[in-house]
Amino acid sequence: MTKKIIALSVATTVSLFAQSELEEVKALLEQQIKVTQALQKRLSKLEAQQKHLAKAEKKHTTEIKKVQQKQETAKKAALDTTPTQQRGVTFSQKSFLPDISLILDTSYVSRNKKDEELKHLEIPGIAHGIMGEHSHGHGHSHAPLNAHDGFNLNYAEVAMQSNVDPYLSLTGIFHLSENNFEVEEAYGETTGLGYGLKAKIGKFRSDFGRINVQHSHVQDFSDMPLVYTAFLGGHGIDDIGAQLQWTLPTDTYFMAGVEALQGKNPTMYGVDAIAPEGDEEDIVVDSPNQPNLLVGYLKSSFDIGDTSVLYGVSIAHGDSRINHLEHEEPHAFVAKSYLYGADLTVKHYFDSYSYLSFQGEYLYRDMDGDFYTYSDDTMTSFDVTPTVKKQSGYYAQLVYAYNRNYRFGVRYDNINKNDIYKNNLPVDTENNFDRLTAMIDYTPTEFTRFRLQHNHNSAMFNEEGEKQNINSLILQMNLAIGAHGAHAF
Amino acid sequence: MKKITLLLILLTTLIFARVNVVTSYPYLGEIVKEVGGNQVHVKVLASPKVDPHFVTPRPSLIPAIVRADILVANGAGLEIGWLPPLIRSANNPKVRIGSKGFIDASQAIRLIDVPKAVSRAYGDIHPEGNPHFNTDPHNILPIARLVAKKLEETDPTHRAEYEKNLQHFTNHWERFLKEFDKKMQKCKDKKVVQYHELYNYLLRRYGMKSLIDIEPLPGIAPSSKHTLKVINTIKQHHIDTILQDPYHEKRTAKFIAAKTGAKVVILPHDVGSVKGADRLESF
Repeated sequence: MTKKIIALSVATTVSLFAQSELEEVKALLEQQIKVTQALQKRLSKLEAQQKHLAKAEKKHTTEIKKVQQKQETAKKAALDTTPTQQRGVTFSQKSFLPDISLILDTSYVSRNKKDEELKHLEIPGIAHGIMGEHSHGHGHSHAPLNAHDGFNLNYAEVAMQSNVDPYLSLTGIFHLSENNFEVEEAYGETTGLGYGLKAKIGKFRSDFGRINVQHSHVQDFSDMPLVYTAFLGGHGIDDIGAQLQWTLPTDTYFMAGVEALQGKNPTMYGVDAIAPEGDEEDIVVDSPNQPNLLVGYLKSSFDIGDTSVLYGVSIAHGDSRINHLEHEEPHAFVAKSYLYGADLTVKHYFDSYSYLSFQGEYLYRDMDGDFYTYSDDTMTSFDVTPTVKKQSGYYAQLVYAYNRNYRFGVRYDNINKNDIYKNNLPVDTENNFDRLTAMIDYTPTEFTRFRLQHNHNSAMFNEEGEKQNINSLILQMNLAIGAHGAHAF
Repeated sequence: MKKITLLLILLTTLIFARVNVVTSYPYLGEIVKEVGGNQVHVKVLASPKVDPHFVTPRPSLIPAIVRADILVANGAGLEIGWLPPLIRSANNPKVRIGSKGFIDASQAIRLIDVPKAVSRAYGDIHPEGNPHFNTDPHNILPIARLVAKKLEETDPTHRAEYEKNLQHFTNHWERFLKEFDKKMQKCKDKKVVQYHELYNYLLRRYGMKSLIDIEPLPGIAPSSKHTLKVINTIKQHHIDTILQDPYHEKRTAKFIAAKTGAKVVILPHDVGSVKGADRLESF
């Protein structure tokens, strides 16, 4: 019984207690839920607040970022290092290439004399071997322009020019003929000395006279004037040295220039000692001090309306060592020489393309020295004859440009004085040598020119002393590519 | 003796007082005069009557370059055949190409007709683009501004004066442009023929079109075959105007005119190239 009661009471207690506990827990739970809800409410409120704040902040920072980005892009643009376009190969130096041009001078010649006959013709007392191929003695033979009957490759000229630095420019002009390479010019030139001064050092064509400085493809005829070829050879004065020119600070153009040159010109000057052929140590006359050739000139120019006038006077002084000991009639001439020149160019323009121009030069030379010939067949000793040469010549040419494409020209060459004194006694010599030239040229574009020229040359004599008449018809073609050349005055 | 020294000083101040400006072409000279006013001494190298490509580099032009403080060139290759040798001969560091005193007017202009490929097979073309930008009057002011900037750099003591001159010229020129633009409106969509590509800037500005040039390629003289083509083009498109410059031969244009009934109009390319075109406005 008791057992039953205990069991019952226990059971009731358990259930009783259980019930009261459940209620208690329920209440607690409810309370807790309420608190949690309240907390949650507060939390979400806070969260919302925070979100808002974050949003604002975010907005703010993006704005800052935007501004910063803008500033940065601006900075970047200023210091942009990304290439805007594809550049060339790394370390490519293409943009530093100098101005390069290639000029071809080729001709077809029809002449009434064979090439081998020409070689032996001379202007007595003045020059020999000036027509046809001849040897300079250094194992290097050399042909003047249009020397051969038939086709001639006169030269292919390669010219390069560019500034070296802010102070100097460099020019190189090379003549390539079939088997030869010649440095026609290679010089450094100042680009901004100021005060009208300009200096040049290297090998260059002298500014002596008028035509000497002009390259053959800018000259009006296919060959040099006779007086130049006779006195100075086919190249004129083209030598190694230094030049200083001064343009006076006047309204009218006045230019004075001086040049000190080696004086290697083999036709009139020369720097080699004279010694018998095959016995180079037994020197008879030693070489002159070098630079051997001094050149000076004065030029001036003015305009009268559409007419331009350019005139000048020049002088070239140096020692002569003319060595022709290897010739058929061996001789040498050692002298103190002066060459004087006067030139005048008058050019009248009818419009942009049509003009009439006159160009003339007069040269006079005075050579005072000794003439050397072998005294006997052993060719070891010499006879020395005091010899003086006073010679002069001129050319005058008239060129009419009808329009941009056609030009016509005539030229008269004359060597009018040939006074030679041996032992102070005049020698009987020929003293009138002349040549007449006419040309037509056609220039379809600025880079092509065809020229037809006829020469009637009655200046040459054969070894028997007979005057020769040489007629040459020259059809010449000049082509130019590369850098645009300057127009000539 | 004292008098001579005084005279010398006076002379030198006279020479030094003004900025020596040399310009290649007359229109540039006019611009410099407008901007420089009394402070500059202007010398123009080329005559307005000659083809601007074919100016003879006469030695008599050298002294002016020797003494120049500023040299204004058209640029874009127009002077390639004649100005470089003169500058070389003058050897003046102030106006050496690329130095401070050398002004290339083409730098102020956006060039048109820039060739995509360059070969002399296409004639004597300018790789930089068409250099005849002075035929469009709208290109004058940018050049004037460039000139003013250079003058101010070279001669800062007269900065205010150059500014004033530039302002004055700008006002004047803008008034002129307004009037000119109005006048040119009626030319819109007009088709013309020209001798050389000389007027492209002008034609482009006012909506005109040049259908064919009388020269077959730039710098190459007209051929009979090409002239026939020009005549046919004129007939086909009913073109009534042939623009001819004052310096090229006018025979071909006249021949074409006679065959087609089109009118040859000689349009100056520079100040002073024809009678009545002696001011910047009138050319």
